[in-house]
Amino acid sequence: MLRFLATRLLRAAVTVVLVVTFAFVVLRLSGDPAQIIMGADAPPEAVEAFRRAWGLDDPIWMQYLRYFGAIIGGDLGRSMRDGRDAIALVAERIPATLALTIPALLIKLCIGIPAGITAALHRNSPIDRAVMVLAVAGFTVPSFVLGLLLVLVFAVQLGWLPSGGQESWRHAVLPILTLGIGGAAVLARFTRSAMLEVLGQPYIRTASAKGVPWRAVVWGHALPNAAIPTVTIIGFMVGSLIAGAVVVESVFSWPGVGRLLVVAVANRDLAVVQCVLLLVAGTMVTANLVVDLLYGALDPRLRSQARGA
Amino acid sequence: MSDAALPASLAGAPSAPRRRLPLLIRFALLWLALMLGTALLADVIAPYAYTALDLRNRLSPPIGLGGSFLHALGTDELGRDVLSRLIYSIRMSLLIAFGATIIGAVLGTSLGFLAAHFRGLVEQVVLALVDFSASLPFLILALAVLAFFGNSLPLFVALLGLHAWERYARIARGLAISAGAQGYAAAVRQLGASPWRIYGRHVLPNIASTLIVSMTLAFPEIILLESGLSFLGLGVQPPETSLGSMVGYGREYLTRAPWILLSPAAVIVLTTFSVSALGDWLRDRLDPTLSR
Repeated sequence: MLRFLATRLLRAAVTVVLVVTFAFVVLRLSGDPAQIIMGADAPPEAVEAFRRAWGLDDPIWMQYLRYFGAIIGGDLGRSMRDGRDAIALVAERIPATLALTIPALLIKLCIGIPAGITAALHRNSPIDRAVMVLAVAGFTVPSFVLGLLLVLVFAVQLGWLPSGGQESWRHAVLPILTLGIGGAAVLARFTRSAMLEVLGQPYIRTASAKGVPWRAVVWGHALPNAAIPTVTIIGFMVGSLIAGAVVVESVFSWPGVGRLLVVAVANRDLAVVQCVLLLVAGTMVTANLVVDLLYGALDPRLRSQARGA
Repeated sequence: MSDAALPASLAGAPSAPRRRLPLLIRFALLWLALMLGTALLADVIAPYAYTALDLRNRLSPPIGLGGSFLHALGTDELGRDVLSRLIYSIRMSLLIAFGATIIGAVLGTSLGFLAAHFRGLVEQVVLALVDFSASLPFLILALAVLAFFGNSLPLFVALLGLHAWERYARIARGLAISAGAQGYAAAVRQLGASPWRIYGRHVLPNIASTLIVSMTLAFPEIILLESGLSFLGLGVQPPETSLGSMVGYGREYLTRAPWILLSPAAVIVLTTFSVSALGDWLRDRLDPTLSR
C-alpha cells in the first residue's frame, strides 16, 4: 500500500512538473509577448524597457528556472494588462464558478447514477431504451447549443428567467441546468455500462444460484463492484469543477474562471492564463490522486498488490 | 443457419437479424452520407458563395416563417445566405474533424507501439505524457495553445489532432504488449521480420477493430471541440466559416433571427449523434471487450 501510494504521488508530481514546463514553453516561446502587449507600432525603446521589466531578455533557461522558483514560492506574476496579482485575479473568480459547478455536480450525481443503474437492471426494457436515447442525446448536444436553446425557450419565449449576468440566484438557474443535464447524461451512460459489466460476471450468477435474493445481490455484490469504475469518472467531474464551465460561462456572461480565461487568452495575458492552467492541472491531479486512494479503499485487491505501471 | 440456433450472447443481448440494420443505424448512415455528399459537392450545390452579400434581404426568415425561396434557410445580418454558409460550414467542420481524428489515431498508435516495443525509459516517457494529457481538460490546453501560437487552419487541425491521442496510445501499447505475448508476433520476429513489418503487417491488423471503434468515439468529440472553440471565437476565423462559428455569430441575433443558429446547431447535434450511435453499434459488433 505504501509503495502504491509512493508511485502515485511521484506520478502526480511528474505530471505537475510537465504542466508547468508546458505552460512555460507554450506561453513564452510562441511569440514575443512584449511586442504583442505593447502593440506592433510601439516605439522600440518602450518594448525594450518592457522586456527588461519582465525579465524577457534573459536566456531562456534562466527564465525557466526563475519561473519554476517563482511558482514554488507561490508567485505567478501579475496580469500584464492591469498589473494586478494574477493569483488574486483568478481567486476572486473561483466562488462564482463553484456556484455553478457544485450544484451542477449534484444534479449529475442525483440523476445520472440512479438512471444508469435503473437502465442496467432493466436492460432492453423501454426504460433502458429511453435512458440510453436521452443519454446519447445529452452527450451529443454541445453545451453552448443546449444553453442557447434554454435561453430561447425560458428567457426569450417564456420570459421566466434572465438570459445572462449574475445579479440573483435566478441568473444561475439556466447555466446550472445546462451543465447538469449534459453531465448527467454522460454519467448515466457510464454507470449503465459499468453496471452491465458487473451483472455479467460469474459471481453474480453464483450469488443468484445459491438463493441470495435479487435485491441483496444488487446491493451487496453488483453496486460495490460497479462503483469502482464509476468513481473514476466522478473524480474527473470533481477535478473539472473549476475548468468545466468555460463555454457555459461564456454563453451566460457569468463572471467565473472560465470567462476570465477566455478573455485572458484573447488578450494574451500570459500570467493569468498560466495561473488558470496551473490551477486546473492542480485540481485535476489532486482529484486523480484521491480517486486512486479511494480505489485502494473500494478494491481490496489493490491493497495487497503493488500495481505495475 | 437460423439465428435462433446461435448462442447469441450469454449476457442476454437479443440477436438482431443479421442482414437488417437497426432503424437508428440506417438513419445514422443516411445522415452521414448526406453530410459527406454535401461536403464533397459544396461548390456545386451551394446556391450562393458563402461570403456573398444580399443587402436588400437582410435577416430574411426561412421558408415557412414567411421567407422566400430566394433564401431557403433565411439570411443573416449582412444578407448572407444561411443555406450556403451551412453547406460550406459542413465541409469545413468535417474536414477538420477527419484530419484531426486521423492525426490523433496515427500519433497515438505510433507512440503506443514505440512504448510497447522499447519498454524501459521510452515507455515511461510515453506514460508520463499520457498522464499529462489526461490531467488537463483538453479545452483548457487548446485554449492556451491557440491564443499563444496565433490561429491558422493547419495549426488548428494539428491541435485538435492531439485530442484523445493518449487513448490510442494506451490501447495500442496494451494490445501490442499482449500481442507480443501471444506468439504470432514472436513467430514473425523469429523469422527475421523487421519491427516495421511486425507492427505494421501483423499487430496493427489484429488491433484495428479496437482502434476504429476508438476513432468513431473520438470523431464526434472533435466536432464538439471544434464547434465549441469556434463558438468562443477562438477556432475557425472569419471569413472562413464552420458550424460552431455560425452558432457563435447567430447568438447575437438569438431574439431577432434564431434561424441563423438553429440550422447549424441541428446539424452539429445530428452529426455527432449519428457518429456516436454508429460507434456504439460498431463496438457491440466488433469488440465487446471495449466497454465504455
